[in-house]
Amino acid sequence: MATTATATEVQVTNLVNYTLVKLHVGMGLFFFIIVALMGFLYSLQLDGIYPFPGIEFLSPGRVRMIHTAGAAYGFLVNMFTGLLYWAVPRFTGYKVFDEKYLGMFMFIGLQAAVLITVVAILFLGQADNVEWGETPWWIDPVIVAWLLLHAVQFGTPILKASQRAPLYVSGWYIAAMLVWTPLVVFMGNFIPRFWSAGSGAGAVQSTFIHDLVGLYVTPVAWGLMYYFVPVIMKKPMWSHGLSLLGFWGLAFFYPMNGVHHFLWSPIPMFAQYSAVFATVAIEFAVTSVLINFMMTLRGSAEVLKYNVPLRYMYTGAIFYWITCFQCAFHVTLTFQKVIHFTDWVTGHAHLIMFGTFGMWVLGMAEYVWPRLFGKETMYSKGMSEGAYWLLTIGVIAMFVDLTAAGLVEGFDWIGLNPWIDSVNFAKPFWYFRSVAGIMMITGLLMYAMNFYKTATAGKGLEAQLRNA
Amino acid sequence: MGKMERFPFVVLVAGLGFFLFADFVSWALPMFVLKDIPMKKVEDLAAEAKAKNTSAWADFQRLAMYYPEQFKKYYGEVNEKSFAKALKIGHHWYVAEGCWNCHSQMIRPVSNETLRFGIPGVSNTVSYPSEYQNELQAPVLWGTKRIGPDLIREAAVHNVDWQVAHLYNPQTTSPGSNMPGYPWYFEKDKNGNIVPNERGIGLLTYIMWLGSWEVKPTKEWALKQ
Repeated sequence: MATTATATEVQVTNLVNYTLVKLHVGMGLFFFIIVALMGFLYSLQLDGIYPFPGIEFLSPGRVRMIHTAGAAYGFLVNMFTGLLYWAVPRFTGYKVFDEKYLGMFMFIGLQAAVLITVVAILFLGQADNVEWGETPWWIDPVIVAWLLLHAVQFGTPILKASQRAPLYVSGWYIAAMLVWTPLVVFMGNFIPRFWSAGSGAGAVQSTFIHDLVGLYVTPVAWGLMYYFVPVIMKKPMWSHGLSLLGFWGLAFFYPMNGVHHFLWSPIPMFAQYSAVFATVAIEFAVTSVLINFMMTLRGSAEVLKYNVPLRYMYTGAIFYWITCFQCAFHVTLTFQKVIHFTDWVTGHAHLIMFGTFGMWVLGMAEYVWPRLFGKETMYSKGMSEGAYWLLTIGVIAMFVDLTAAGLVEGFDWIGLNPWIDSVNFAKPFWYFRSVAGIMMITGLLMYAMNFYKTATAGKGLEAQLRNA
Repeated sequence: MGKMERFPFVVLVAGLGFFLFADFVSWALPMFVLKDIPMKKVEDLAAEAKAKNTSAWADFQRLAMYYPEQFKKYYGEVNEKSFAKALKIGHHWYVAEGCWNCHSQMIRPVSNETLRFGIPGVSNTVSYPSEYQNELQAPVLWGTKRIGPDLIREAAVHNVDWQVAHLYNPQTTSPGSNMPGYPWYFEKDKNGNIVPNERGIGLLTYIMWLGSWEVKPTKEWALKQ
């Protein structure tokens, strides 16, 4: 028995390049904290207590672009790439294309692209007015090239596995994502600038805002969820049919959702209607996925009590369903009259990006991290729990607060009160949002501290085994 | 079912097929509908402002009159070329400064927005496709969030004097506002007065251009020399 275990372990160790996972996840966590701090800094401007007034490179508008673009490329791309380096070789059984040269080149390239973007936006006054694509247009070809390399890197093992047998669910999501992402980034950053303008550009930009979430973040995150959840619970997904339904529903309806960001705009109405229809339809696909995950949990719910990574994943999944359910309503033209342009949308965005995808990657990283360093568990159970609760309560508080603020602003604007009234009415909500932000940042710092301690302190698993 | 779970099928059908179909619906078809609207370059916009003698053209002349030293230094004479240059610089910094994070540029036909942001006495106050069909709206600047008010009819709302004071320190003109001041768009002239610099004049020209095509030039807008 012992020999078999060792043999498997050796095989798995050779499959996964631990250094690349460590580097990407570590940088992802670093950028997560940075973008959270940037968001907090921007929120202070809304509160009217910005600490650096009159300093050009810390102008709140520029800081806000670092918050959004940094979340996309610094935090999420790093985190997901790190976790893909862990998950893809494991569920396919093949190594990635090339870890030694391409892997390191991609790692350095990504960090360089992010740093150049930060310098360009803060100091050079170079930005792009595409939300989530604030990266200056001349850095976008680099990002597209990077994403093509990324497709080769992770596509190779998935293709090899597919030649042997039908792919596991994660493989569908990740294979489709590898094709979508470069297309989406190319479309969103170049078409509105060079091949269209005005309403046509608006249609593409809104498709980009949504597709970077829907065709990069969502499929890679669900792909990883379909890998990590059954592995942690040591049992298969409840229904393969629902997995199929969820994937093909997402693949067909998600790309068409984008225009719902600009309802009541000068974009032709048929495009707006198709987006509304597709958005309501995707809710059914999402619900089928959620049923599948909840039924998988059935009978094992007590695992959530002591397994923090799994709890992160299920908390995120519930937030995901709330976000999508909310979306099915507020995407209608009636809701849009009130909530468009308000803080409601900000609350929605934070619930999905922090509450769902943030929580998921934190959960997955917390599962992977001790294993990378040969430790049995995370350094401190207390810090682990503390971070989870601070993050969860913080993001719920922010979501509820901003949703309420959005309603106040929306109805105030319809009521034709002086503009400054809506600012004054929203201020208490903005103060509260900053407090929720402090909670979330504290949680993140606690999480990062735990990470650092796990990597550097505590006994390794091997040492313990040797002593036993 | 086995075929559906293979790499080529997923990549070709979901990855490429569905994506291209969605792009067809939400990009190609709208583009087809909008294809007859002529695309304007910045130079065309400048020529139009001059030919129609819009409020933006008058405000550009005002800036030249108020700040002769800076205007001469950075823009030279008042003509179409310098107006186009100012629009370009103003648009660049409007984007780079993230103004569009808090100010939208779109009036919707609902929620009393035409009453709030529209121009009194002008019928067509809702945003319409052709006013965005130009180089300064690629990518489009509709924005997704309003902390401050919409700006697409700004030319009709405030005059350039107000804009100068507001850009330097918003609280002087709008008490309680949480907009930051932008002192780096200003410099000192030879008399020690704080005046807009190159970027500042550009930004003011750009802001006063927004919606100027909908402002009917009246005697109030005409420049009194």
